[in-house]
Amino acid sequence: MADVSTRLAPYVYVCTRMRVRKAKLLPREDYLRMLNMSLTEITRFIEETEYKSEIDELGSSFSGIDLVEVALSWNLAKEYQKILEITPGALHLFTQSYLRRWDIQNFLTILRGKHQGVAAGRIKEVLIPAGKLDREFLDRLLTEDSVERITEAMRGKRLYPVLERELPGALETKSFARLENELYKGFYSELLSDVKSGVKGGSVFLAYIRLEIDFMNVRNLFRLRSGAVEGDIRDLMIPDGSFSIDELQRIAVIENAGDFIDEIQKKAGLKSITGLLEDLRNHRPIHEIEIELTRFMLAEMERLSKRYPVSICPILVYLEKKKYEVQNLRALARGKESNLPAERIKSYLVV
Amino acid sequence: MAVETMTVEVATASAMGLKALGAGLAVGLTGIATAIAEMTIGPAAVGATAENKDMFGMALLFTVIPETIVIFGLVVALLLLF
Repeated sequence: MADVSTRLAPYVYVCTRMRVRKAKLLPREDYLRMLNMSLTEITRFIEETEYKSEIDELGSSFSGIDLVEVALSWNLAKEYQKILEITPGALHLFTQSYLRRWDIQNFLTILRGKHQGVAAGRIKEVLIPAGKLDREFLDRLLTEDSVERITEAMRGKRLYPVLERELPGALETKSFARLENELYKGFYSELLSDVKSGVKGGSVFLAYIRLEIDFMNVRNLFRLRSGAVEGDIRDLMIPDGSFSIDELQRIAVIENAGDFIDEIQKKAGLKSITGLLEDLRNHRPIHEIEIELTRFMLAEMERLSKRYPVSICPILVYLEKKKYEVQNLRALARGKESNLPAERIKSYLVV
Repeated sequence: MAVETMTVEVATASAMGLKALGAGLAVGLTGIATAIAEMTIGPAAVGATAENKDMFGMALLFTVIPETIVIFGLVVALLLLF
């Protein structure tokens, strides 16, 4: 009995905390209210929510859009680090693996920034040190001058083998897109191998990751379609989802939009997406399709977390929802700063 | 005669003993049942309170609801004994 209780109690504790945090996220009505506010009013509004301490702390150093951007990044990083602190055992392991994606994002931000000659201070503002690479290490990367030296500083890290292999090509073509794809593919394959290593609760995590891979592949298919990319797309897809890479290639070359959607619908694992795809048959802009897919992915993840209430799922759902809250607020602030109409900004929000 | 008296005493004593045993089991088993029920409610209540202090009252209430099981056990035990 003691064994059961010591294993179950920390799971219940953390999952409940995540549920309460999720309940504290901004509701749809708040976004709609913010659409009618100016940037200053939005800053004041989010100061009254969970972002208070960051806005107060950074208020003296930044103003306007910079204040919102930096406060949001800081809050997200702090939140993720806090979650890592409170998650026990296998949950900690899974959460840490999942948050490694931020290492890729931070590293690429530094790489791109340095390549474009952006000042280190500006790059630092948008970094979110939520993964394995902590603030000190990222600061060290920021002090390096060239892309080669930054890559060299990554020696010994998990990302290094892919970097070593792909960087020469990226520098030659002056595009980090392929490097980014490879890093994310490496991330997912490592994630799947961590999951399959036999840690208890891994099967639920696996289901979650597969769902995410499927949605990313479907989203990429829509993106490739709207960009009229033809030819071999196998390199751009993430393996180990419900679709095999060959299947994805076959679907990508279908010209008729109706047949294209039919093929995606046929996939048993994505039955729940059918209604959404029917809706997408009408020609809609790609960003709206992406937002719809994201919204749907979050709903599916939420469903998974309800089916497995004491598992890694509630934590991951919160991590994702928090990420999209920050993205929404950033889109709102940026949109307001650029004087975009409220309707236009609204179409970019995941609510 | 003496033997018969002894037998009645033994019978009374063993009846009392069985009652005591029953009362002990009633409290003990319901105590374990309460513990099992509270095993998940407790951490959830602490988690919720850690995030939102206002939930303390409600969380405490939910945590003690399974105590009713052991109270039933106690009532049964008292009825058995007196």
